Amino acid sequence: MPRPSRFNFVNLQSGLGLAIIVLLAVLTSPRSGSGDRIFLEVGNLTDILRQVSEIGIMAVGMTLVILTAGIDLSVGSTLAMATSIAGLTLATWAPATGTAGKILFAVACALAASALAGAVNGFVIANLRIQPFIVTLASMIGIRGLARRLTNNTNIDFGFGSDAGSVFARIGSQKSTVVAAFAIVFIAFSVLLSRTVFGRRVRAIGDNETAAVYAGLPIKRTKIYVYTWCGILAGLAGVLHAAQNHQGNPNAGISYELDAIAAVVIGGTSLAGGKGSMAGTLMGTLIMGILTNMLRLNNVDSNTEMMLKAVIIIAAVWIQQFDTRRFGKRGLR
Amino acid sequence: MRLYWICAALAGLLIGCSKSSAPAGKTYFVAFSQCNNAEPYRSAQNELLTRICSGKPDVKLTITDAQQDNSKQIAQIETLILQKPDLLIVAPNERAPLTAVMGKAMAAGIPTICLERDIAEPNYTTYIACDNRAIGKRAGQFIVDNLAAKYGQPKGKIVELRGLLGVEGEINRYGGAHEVFQQYPDIKVVHEAVADWLQAKGRERMLEILRAQPEIDAVYGHNDPMAVGAYLAAQDLGREKSMFFVGVDGLGGPAGGIKKVMDGILAATFYYPLAVDKAMEIGDRMLRDPSFKPEKKYMLATEIITPENAKQMYDKLTF
Repeated sequence: MPRPSRFNFVNLQSGLGLAIIVLLAVLTSPRSGSGDRIFLEVGNLTDILRQVSEIGIMAVGMTLVILTAGIDLSVGSTLAMATSIAGLTLATWAPATGTAGKILFAVACALAASALAGAVNGFVIANLRIQPFIVTLASMIGIRGLARRLTNNTNIDFGFGSDAGSVFARIGSQKSTVVAAFAIVFIAFSVLLSRTVFGRRVRAIGDNETAAVYAGLPIKRTKIYVYTWCGILAGLAGVLHAAQNHQGNPNAGISYELDAIAAVVIGGTSLAGGKGSMAGTLMGTLIMGILTNMLRLNNVDSNTEMMLKAVIIIAAVWIQQFDTRRFGKRGLR
Repeated sequence: MRLYWICAALAGLLIGCSKSSAPAGKTYFVAFSQCNNAEPYRSAQNELLTRICSGKPDVKLTITDAQQDNSKQIAQIETLILQKPDLLIVAPNERAPLTAVMGKAMAAGIPTICLERDIAEPNYTTYIACDNRAIGKRAGQFIVDNLAAKYGQPKGKIVELRGLLGVEGEINRYGGAHEVFQQYPDIKVVHEAVADWLQAKGRERMLEILRAQPEIDAVYGHNDPMAVGAYLAAQDLGREKSMFFVGVDGLGGPAGGIKKVMDGILAATFYYPLAVDKAMEIGDRMLRDPSFKPEKKYMLATEIITPENAKQMYDKLTF
């Protein structure tokens, strides 16, 4: 079983990648009227943190899933479902309680539905022994359908008046709320992964499932927990998405699963399972976020942006493979 | 045993999904091939058409959803042709791919209405057209006029949030406005960003734009949600009062653009006609009066929605 260290060469490589991107962003940054580099303005840096938070939170859940050698393609749809449920609850379903009660009810409904979606994924993967790719591909389609069905294909806007929805949107769209949510999730799951029995089981399953079976580890239960957490975190990202956009949107989050997977992989977690870390995922998330910010501050054409991102993803993963090989680490599969 | 359960479940599903129908007397079968249900504009179209048809007891309506997929829409229309509808309304997903199958419907003797988007050849009985180019021009002119009123001459800095690139609506809402902007050398589009028609992406792009552009006078979103997203970003930085926001679509209901004009978020939106009401008005005459010959093309006008007429339009377009 690989050593669950929090700081190894893989993280060093991700850190190097992050440093290169930051340097590039500083050098290419346009200047504001007063001559300062816009990229380095506190407002812009905190904008980046807020913008990566949704994908970052999803990537934390995705890291757990990928460490078990699984994948979860349904998180984008789950995010959309959570925004839809939060919107619907605030706009129409809310019980006649006070503002705080309505908001808590909306958040609870969204998270509960997301947890259920994740638990179903995990249950089917663990018990029916269908590959995670297939199961979550199916639930990606099904959950999207559910979100559209619930909202009748329309957006659910809220929070433009002075009702519970506007309080929810005001609190949930603040930078401090969004970034704090990401920070808490990141720290909690870093500890969970590196310091608990559960974390070791996650790695053990991904590293060698057969060995884990013979070691008597509770494979099924662990998998169900992992996918449930992944669902809850996608739901949390959805709640923040809804608050920031004043909207429940059944078409939100399309291809977010790929952004989350990209962040995890750039962070050095192997799709083959067993190897990777939360710190790496954080760096992968920041690399993608800063890269995006850099290109957009410079008004780079959006198609060019996509092409550049493709190159960066491959380059980042390749650099990591190269160095793990050189340092004699396992992981080149 | 497992197979038995699967069969039983499938049978249950089928029974649950099928609805019993009891035809009596002469009924007209109207089929609407919708290119994608999952857009608020198209969802409103479906809603309005369903409402109109439920008011006509002898009309039976079927709506198919092609989920933004040309091949799917072609297959669905082929199936509909076999069912011989009395009237076929098609909202084509894209011009070229749908042209041939609509020709097949015409050849089968089915009166066919082409809705909102043109196809490559006139394979339809009549075409109900909405003019995105004209909307683009009017939106552009509205922005120029407001800037002229602000500065005493037409000048100012505009940010544009574009829809999915390559889509007809995007091309013409963009092109129409730029035809106008180009006539005024002091009107500058300082930043263009693609936000894929989405409020969330409109907000994200606008946050970056606000950092890069210290002065912005107007924001032109190619649909209302993107313009609203831009407003939310500007509000976040306390800059929403220093610029005005213009959208397109003007849907009714609490999540539509008209409500945003009423709430003072958008300065104006431009109504993109739902078109199904006109289609059913013409279609109904075609069904009931064999001697009625529709025009080859009906052009629907846009309408500007400002705080003056917003309430009235909201009541008209909210169902």
